[in-house]
Amino acid sequence: MDDSSLLSEFTLFLKEKKQEGIKVIAYLAHDNIPEELIDAAGFFPLRLIFGGNDELMDASHDFLPPSTCAFAQSCIGLFSVKPNDYKFLEMVDYIIVSNHCVSDICVSEIISKYFNIPRLNFYVSYTINENSLKYFKLELQDFRNQLEVIIDRKISDDDIHNSILKFNNFKKKFLEINELEMLGSEKLKLIHKSMLFGPDFLHDLENLIQKVKNAPQSVSNTSKDVLLTGCSIFINDNMIDLIEEGGGNIVFFDTWIGNHYYSQIIESNLIDRENDPLDVLVLRFKNNIYGDHSVPDFLEQKVSFIQKYFENYKKNKGRKLGVINHIIKFCDHISLMSSFLKETLQEKGIQVLNVERDYSRANRGQLSTRIEAYLEMMK
Amino acid sequence: MSLIADEIIQFSSVLRIAYNLLTGRNYLKRKKFREKEILVAVTLPFSDLPFAAGTIPVFPIRMHQFEISQYLTYLGSASSIFGWNTVSNFLGFIRNLGINEVSKIVDNIIEDVIDIINKKYNEMYDIGIENGISSDFCYGLKSLIGMHVTKGSNVNACFNVTIRCSAYNKYLESLKAINQGPKQIWVDIPPRNIGNAIELLTENISTALNEFEKLTGNNVTDNDLRNHFKIGNQVKRSYKNIIYDISASDFYPCNPATFSEIMALLSITFQDYNSNAARYRDNIVSLEKEMRERIRKGIGMDVSKMPRIFVTPMFGGWEPKSHEIIYELGGRALYADWELLKLLEEIPTGPHTNPSEEYARFLMRATETGIGCDNEKLTDSYLRMASDLNADGLIFFQLFGCHSISNCYTMLREKVRRELEIPITAITFNKIGENVEQVKTRLGAFMEMFK
Repeated sequence: MDDSSLLSEFTLFLKEKKQEGIKVIAYLAHDNIPEELIDAAGFFPLRLIFGGNDELMDASHDFLPPSTCAFAQSCIGLFSVKPNDYKFLEMVDYIIVSNHCVSDICVSEIISKYFNIPRLNFYVSYTINENSLKYFKLELQDFRNQLEVIIDRKISDDDIHNSILKFNNFKKKFLEINELEMLGSEKLKLIHKSMLFGPDFLHDLENLIQKVKNAPQSVSNTSKDVLLTGCSIFINDNMIDLIEEGGGNIVFFDTWIGNHYYSQIIESNLIDRENDPLDVLVLRFKNNIYGDHSVPDFLEQKVSFIQKYFENYKKNKGRKLGVINHIIKFCDHISLMSSFLKETLQEKGIQVLNVERDYSRANRGQLSTRIEAYLEMMK
Repeated sequence: MSLIADEIIQFSSVLRIAYNLLTGRNYLKRKKFREKEILVAVTLPFSDLPFAAGTIPVFPIRMHQFEISQYLTYLGSASSIFGWNTVSNFLGFIRNLGINEVSKIVDNIIEDVIDIINKKYNEMYDIGIENGISSDFCYGLKSLIGMHVTKGSNVNACFNVTIRCSAYNKYLESLKAINQGPKQIWVDIPPRNIGNAIELLTENISTALNEFEKLTGNNVTDNDLRNHFKIGNQVKRSYKNIIYDISASDFYPCNPATFSEIMALLSITFQDYNSNAARYRDNIVSLEKEMRERIRKGIGMDVSKMPRIFVTPMFGGWEPKSHEIIYELGGRALYADWELLKLLEEIPTGPHTNPSEEYARFLMRATETGIGCDNEKLTDSYLRMASDLNADGLIFFQLFGCHSISNCYTMLREKVRRELEIPITAITFNKIGENVEQVKTRLGAFMEMFK
């Protein structure tokens, strides 16, 4: 999937933001970062959701051993190599060091230290319970303070409320992408663009969604429907091409960019201006039960979600659904749980393909063969 | 390695620690089936709460049968009748008489201890992979999965403490998928000490203690906690004394390779105190005394001309031949992982203290200033430790698949060169015994710098 035009459009968009005096805060795009606070403080939240290649991964080896998550390697590579399509990374003013996983910490820290980008800290507990929610609020308060120091003014509760509403409405529209009758790769392009541009894309997104609703795109009847779980397919990654070339069509993206993001929609009646807006963000964290960061119930939640989706899909569409668990090589969270996920789902009659890969060109042939074989088996 | 074994026999406390480590299976079986005690799996040195709750913490590898020499078994039996000191003195006496056969047997017993444990670690590593963990994970995690697959169903509970390593936390989550029987008891350490994080951690500890109470049917009182912390503090004190007063000094009570072997043994056993805190305390206190006594008598080795090589990290897996190679190349290997990670800090036990809160402070200190919530902090810990040990060089074991600690090497190398101005090198490690020749070559080149 060549996303050059998307990236060049985004470069122009970001330049405009910078010309308006808006500063950019980048982060490895995990699902617990309070983008609403970033927005309320007048910054632009930039999710690093870019796939890699051999060159980018190689470039990271001055800083990290090759046995590091391929996505993490590529993020460093992007800042080190700064390929033409990614020149907009020069516009990044701050980077958030967070602990979605330990590679998130290492990479953000390296980007900050070696590419001279000031860091902001935002850490998240590993469990979700009463105390970790309280801790999350402490981190939110601390993050708010860090932002206020930079802008040299207080961020008002009203501004935070407005941003929460803005992002919440955006997520509600985003959710509709799911139900669109269109090819998975087209859906993914919409998801990528939405995640990259954020609520600024809302108006265009509404139009695009309406357009597809009015004239659904035909998807081949012979293609096999697939739910993608595990690691996200990021911008400029050819993974979805391999699936489609093999005869598959991703109908649901149960990943970081996709379900994990829009499943955090907050019911409007809970966004009450009388209440502390940080509590609403805590609620969002609490609701994020599908995110892979948390322990000890991630596997159970994941299995239960996929099972439910699988059964509903079969019932409503009358079609079989495959599950591809996408594992970016050396990803701590997805890789460690992959054999347990596969085993548990297969016990429930759901066929799962664990696809582990990095961004190197060399493994393309092997990946294609595996995906094709799996999709064949789904007949 | 006969020299190393010859030296170890002089320390009856080392024999005891080694014996208790290797014969854990029988001890634990007795505790579980005859005495109806509750076994709790622990990893890393987080055994304090299980001990205080009156359960038996166990680092799961110790539930395995080890291929120990029958002579060590006889030694153990004899010691239970005559006492360890008598047996040790007797063996030393026989060896000094020049009865070679006996001396050889004793040598074999001791030299086998670390090898036997490492062989078992490798076996667990293979079982971990066979049972589905990707070979891309670090040696430690693969071995831990192997331990739980093989023996995890024997424990009543697993005590899980989150740390900054995401793979480790996911491994903890996977335990309930590996064995559905054991109860999972969690303590989540907040990543940073901000706001009332200590208070939250204290509550998390109290919640875990409640879970232990449900497991045992007994209350865990503040005094239970204090009493265990007192024992733990004595262990830590002796451990620290051995690290700072002895390993960093110029005269060793034995040759440096033996000394490293003892330190490796302590590193392994410190995780669960060989399932008996008081016994372990007695042994380590007596080990320190034995060492000091030998130094006082001038028995041992002048190591003042041997460069101090700080070898770290080793707790997640390292090449155990390193210290022997370093010794042969004219240096001495120092191991101090737990101190580096601030896990040898004492916990206040005064009558007016809140022991749960003190334990929370201990865990938070280790998180913040030991292992650190980022690599800036972690690398500072390495620097501090190397400096405190007055190290002349640093060997960093870069574990294949370790994304938490190994990733800090670039930053560490810069800091060490800039701030300490001592040589540093990284050795990649995947599995024990896999690359000994490569390790030799790397260490050979490194040690050249000190000539």
